[in-house]
Amino acid sequence: MKSKVVPTIKLYDYLLVPIQIELDDNTVERLQMQILHEIHENDVRGIIIDVSMVDVIDSYISFVLSETAGMAKAMGCHTVICGIQPQVALTLAQMGIRLKDIITARSLEDAIDILDELD
Amino acid sequence: MIEVNPQDYDIVLKIKDESDIAVSRQMAKNFAQKMNFSLADVTKIATAVSELARNIYRYAKEGYIYIREKEAGPEKAITIEILACDEGPGIENVELAVSGGYTTSERSLGLGLAGIRRLMDSFHIESEVGKGTAVIVEKRRHAY
Ligand SMILES: Nc1ncnc2c1ncn2[C@@H]1O[C@H](COP(=O)(O)OP(=O)(O)OP(=O)(O)O)[C@@H](O)[C@H]1O
Ligand SMILES: [Mg+2]
Repeated sequence: MKSKVVPTIKLYDYLLVPIQIELDDNTVERLQMQILHEIHENDVRGIIIDVSMVDVIDSYISFVLSETAGMAKAMGCHTVICGIQPQVALTLAQMGIRLKDIITARSLEDAIDILDELD
Repeated sequence: MIEVNPQDYDIVLKIKDESDIAVSRQMAKNFAQKMNFSLADVTKIATAVSELARNIYRYAKEGYIYIREKEAGPEKAITIEILACDEGPGIENVELAVSGGYTTSERSLGLGLAGIRRLMDSFHIESEVGKGTAVIVEKRRHAY
């Protein structure tokens, strides 16, 4: 596989994906490929996407994140998103965007707890 | 479509490459921050510009986004105005496109225009098939 878009961390059976770069369309698509590839390679049972550094999530980014979660689900993997900034959550809500197939958690700890419960 | 004099604006962004979407989003964010909008409103403005830039790139291939600060209404409220225009294919049914959930793209929610309308204080769209599309939105700065 080509170079990783985002360095990831394997945490128990989970894959932690901290997004610390600007999410342009090309990046978000490559990130999707990377995540699916890593689920397949590393026997991952849950994905935690940390978006605490992301200050804009628009309609297309939302779509790709949900699409990724849907694909992960088909591979037997739950997706939790954590650290969403309050103003980003507000903007998404006002736009009427729902992150389909994605569980939201307040923090990384909560995300891990949620995934532990699901197993 | 609309006559635009670039000199009337503080920022002129040409949208041509995919990377211009992220650039315009950042420029809008910085400008709104400098205008002292609240963090919530800075995020809404940056998100709206991201949607407008993507629509230009996706449907018209290229176009421009113009941004300026102005005073609006009798109370002369500090306002950001954003104009996105292109000479692309235009929109056949504007009402439908703005209503939300309608999309001609395969991988999309179709919530861009409907979302922008809800995020901003005013929203105006003009589109003509074969001629192009122009969207003008404004957001007033609230005292906080
Ligand atoms: N600048 C434009 N030129 C031509 N058609 C446009 C333009 N902007 C929007 N449209 C049309 O209006 C539809 C709705 O646009 P909108 O931005 O709301 O949703 P989308 O782009 O399809 O999906 P999303 O923005 O959620 O990723 C588009 O699918 C497209 O057909
Ligand atoms: Mg759109």
